[in-house]
Amino acid sequence: MALSGLAACASPGGEPSQIADPLEPVNRVIFAANLAVDTTVIEPVATLYRDVVPDPARDGVRNFLRNLESPVVLANDLLQRDIDAAGVTTKRFFINTTVGILGLFDRAAEMGLQRRDEDFGQTMGTYGIGPGFYVVLPILGPSSLRDTGGRFVDYYFDPLNYYADNTDRRNITLARTGLRALDARARTIETLDEIERTSIDFYATIRSLYHQRRQSDIRNGSAPSLPKLDLSGDSEEDRTASLED
Amino acid sequence: MIKFRPFFFALVLATTVSVTAGAQGGKGEKTETFIADLGDRALQVLVLDSQTPSERDEAFRSLLSEGFDLPLIGRYALGRYWRRATPEQRTEYRKLFEDFIVETYVARLGEYSGETLQVVTSRPDDKDTIVTTEIVREGRPAIRVDWRVRNGDTEPKIVDVVVEGVSMLLTQRDEFASVIQRSGGSVEGLLSRLRDKNSE
Repeated sequence: MALSGLAACASPGGEPSQIADPLEPVNRVIFAANLAVDTTVIEPVATLYRDVVPDPARDGVRNFLRNLESPVVLANDLLQRDIDAAGVTTKRFFINTTVGILGLFDRAAEMGLQRRDEDFGQTMGTYGIGPGFYVVLPILGPSSLRDTGGRFVDYYFDPLNYYADNTDRRNITLARTGLRALDARARTIETLDEIERTSIDFYATIRSLYHQRRQSDIRNGSAPSLPKLDLSGDSEEDRTASLED
Repeated sequence: MIKFRPFFFALVLATTVSVTAGAQGGKGEKTETFIADLGDRALQVLVLDSQTPSERDEAFRSLLSEGFDLPLIGRYALGRYWRRATPEQRTEYRKLFEDFIVETYVARLGEYSGETLQVVTSRPDDKDTIVTTEIVREGRPAIRVDWRVRNGDTEPKIVDVVVEGVSMLLTQRDEFASVIQRSGGSVEGLLSRLRDKNSE
């Protein structure tokens, strides 16, 4: 019986479809704790934020925060040797900081300069470094060994962090991280609720979504390898059995 | 909230209202038309206001089973465990899977309600055709949705929907594999979870 061989052939286009999860027991505990915190605190606050603050104001907050992240995105564009993207990021920063009033409005996007998020985890991905294994971080949620490392590196790409560190204004960094998380959560309330409701293993679903999404981000959205529906390895009788209905 | 589910689904499929199939030759064009046509028929179901939610649910279910190759999707979602399943388990799994997947697809595609779907391009991929579409949203970046369509002996059927690089099918398979592994490799563990879920 070539059962184990079948598992291997499930990976599309050479990319492993599943992320390794040697810490699964620990990850599940942290995941459950995160979920508890989310249900009792984060989601209610995010819901309140969404209901109280009007859409344009929340968009303004997000645009402002994203504009502040431009140096990190630019650094990673350059490290990925993507000169075009670096140009777009630079233009976006200057347009939005000026015409967009300190980044509150995304005027650059209206001119066709779309934002594309980059981080050092993705940069490592483009250099062929795999995710290592799956990690669930307290509060911060799904990540991988590679992407957790990437977060630290990105911290040092950000001039604002140096400013905050040097002037003892660390609460700037904290406020920014908190607000960014709140904004992101407020935009995914229904989506996450629906995924949880329709999951029989929420943890495994999130793990799969995280991994697929990161792979897609690393490819910058181009999808050269949609998962193949490859039933090779099946015997002919199985194939027939699966089609007769 | 839950009882509004069918409306939600109705809205999802309404995204396909103004589908515009790009002109391309041969098989690709046929497949693009198929995706566009499915959207039109979804709209017809939506328009029937007089239907009760359960009637509408039923209508979408039949649309789903007509447009999607559910037996094949189910078979693939079970991955290598298909071979371990007994004939009885396979039969029960197919039934449970269809109920489960209808609900899941409704919920997960539901957030794109009221948007416009545009066919961008299509390309052959092995024995399938990949139709790339975009969900165009006012003032926000478009969402890329790829449809893997298998051209069967009779008519084309959707086998996978990939939203921004995330495959519905792959996600399902990863989840099912995890459930089975956690119940000691037993397919019965999955069936029991699906039974519970479907009767919720």
